[in-house]
Amino acid sequence: MNGTMNTTDSSVARRFFNSTLVAGAALCLVAGGVGCGRTPAASFRLNMVEATKQRLTAEQEKQVATVLLAMFGTPDEPTCLPETGLDEAKLRLAAGPVRSDIVGRKNGLYREHCAHCHGVTGDALGPTAAFLNPYPRDYRPGVFKFKSTERADKPTHADLVRVLHNGIPGTSMPSFALLSSAQVDALAEYVKYLSIRGETELSLMRAFFELDDDAQGKLPESREFLVDETLSPIAEKWKTAADAQIAVPPMPTGIDLVASIAKGKELFYGDKANCVKCHGVTGLGDGQANDYDDWNKAIVEINKEISSGSEKARETSTSGMSAEDLDEHRKQIAWLAKFDSVLDGDALRPRTIPPRNLRHGIYRGGRRPLDLYYRIHAGINGAPMPAAKGTVPPEEIWHIVNYIRSLPYELDGELGADKPMLARDRF
Amino acid sequence: MNRLSGIFWSLLFLAVPVLGVATFAVAPAFDIWLPKDVSEHGRSIDSLFYFILALTGVVFVATELAMFWFLWKYDAAKSKGPATYIHGSHTLEVVWTIIPAATLLFLAIYQMNTWADVKMRRPAMAPTVEVVARQFEWRLRYPGRDGTLGTPDDLFLVNELHVPVDEDVLVQLKSMDVLHSFFLPNLRIKQDAVPGMKIPVWFKATETGEFDIVCAELCGWGHYKMKGRVTVESREAFDRWLEAKYAAQEATQPEADPSQSVAQSN
Repeated sequence: MNGTMNTTDSSVARRFFNSTLVAGAALCLVAGGVGCGRTPAASFRLNMVEATKQRLTAEQEKQVATVLLAMFGTPDEPTCLPETGLDEAKLRLAAGPVRSDIVGRKNGLYREHCAHCHGVTGDALGPTAAFLNPYPRDYRPGVFKFKSTERADKPTHADLVRVLHNGIPGTSMPSFALLSSAQVDALAEYVKYLSIRGETELSLMRAFFELDDDAQGKLPESREFLVDETLSPIAEKWKTAADAQIAVPPMPTGIDLVASIAKGKELFYGDKANCVKCHGVTGLGDGQANDYDDWNKAIVEINKEISSGSEKARETSTSGMSAEDLDEHRKQIAWLAKFDSVLDGDALRPRTIPPRNLRHGIYRGGRRPLDLYYRIHAGINGAPMPAAKGTVPPEEIWHIVNYIRSLPYELDGELGADKPMLARDRF
Repeated sequence: MNRLSGIFWSLLFLAVPVLGVATFAVAPAFDIWLPKDVSEHGRSIDSLFYFILALTGVVFVATELAMFWFLWKYDAAKSKGPATYIHGSHTLEVVWTIIPAATLLFLAIYQMNTWADVKMRRPAMAPTVEVVARQFEWRLRYPGRDGTLGTPDDLFLVNELHVPVDEDVLVQLKSMDVLHSFFLPNLRIKQDAVPGMKIPVWFKATETGEFDIVCAELCGWGHYKMKGRVTVESREAFDRWLEAKYAAQEATQPEADPSQSVAQSN
């Protein structure tokens, strides 16, 4: 009895042991063979919102993609024509998958630090973007908010480096001060590259509308059209950005700080600058709440067009329509439906832009008096903040700056507290 | 049971203490050990660590060896006799409860002084800096020339903490959104930043250099990259740096050389 029991036990045990060994070995082989999976190479996304808006056909979209590929390369292998004025070596440092080169330098900086919000194409459609408030910047329209140049001009290279170095307080844009200056430089260059590429794409897509009939819906692929007429004007604006830098007069000396703040307060509440209209009579940013920045406004306008177009299409009776008209009508309905689905996948849900609460002491574009001067003088490009240039003389802008800087520290015991409290702590 | 199988499993279990000890012995040679300590209290914290490591290490190896010995000696393939059934040993149970309890009690009392130094005996001084943790950066506020936080001459910075060497430093730690943890590995400082609380953290750095600030409490998708840099420097260099940063913050003209702008801050 014992003998048979032992044999049975031992053979069961042996079989179990052997089978686990075999199973483990098999698993290792499978895992080793299959590997961790290979991700496909990254590719730029076409600006589907614009393509749909311009009613491009599939062939036209393909032509735009091919032209952009020839002019700008891929996310892994960027190229740029000399007309762009960009440094291709810096682009290569920033582009591609994260890896170290033979000198031990980190490459793939954009993908490591930026792509998850700003997207591989710089279209603010990265996986994190929808969760952020405010949304990350979409570089494709070539509009940037925080810079030292006049409102409609591009930021200088130093402006981009400053934003990368300081981050944007009050938003999810972090400070990259811990990267080396060569790395920050490469990233700024890559942002310019994505912006120039995005603007070129928009320009090409809009050019289809201007074509005459014998072009047969195809853009000319001559150097003259693509480079001289399309790319160069865009690149020129970037190259000459430094010329558009705002000339800042020195702070007025004949007046002391308290008097300057008092003057600034008058201007803040006055009609010339009319700051209270948006920033509110207490500076809390509650003057109005219905406006949009340019990126969100574009989507809002498209949504309006889709809903009014859909309503019109629904109300149009198709009885008694000619064959042509019926065809047009059906095409319109198909286009409206397509646009709706493109917005689902290729656009962020629009949000209003609240005017800044000036009591917090958080200034997105920088807290130096100089930065506040720039914001007031040129306004904020892409946002409803208007330029005071022309309406408010430069010296008076400095008074407003001093008033703004005093707002978080205004002591106010009027709201029933027996101890005056700093505005920035109360609000 | 197969004798070979018994030998295999006994040796496998023996490998655990052997490899465990080997890893600890070899790690420092590969620079995988405690980060360099440049703080005053770091010494007592590290010696506590070593003491507990030695104590638990010895107990660990002893119990593992005992287990190996039983696996080897009482392998069913070799040791064919019947098992002995006992009703347990009261003495043994008392002994192996009292001894660990006493050890733990000893440890608890032994470390009290170090804990009090780091977490309870706050130096009587005004805060050197206010650190506000935020997803995913460290926002700093120095009190400025008037020495008071919350006045217009405060200096605002991000991720760049400078402290003077050989001086007590008091940090007011806050959080702007969720739980973070202010971790300075080289200064042996770790304190959770709790939203709604203002928590004092103090240390004295004994050597100059640049060290890491990392976040040690999972705070979101950017937790892994929530890094800062703490620079310990002489008092003169620290004062000079503060002045330079403050002047940059008060700039009313663009800097003459834009390539220097990387050195400026918010």
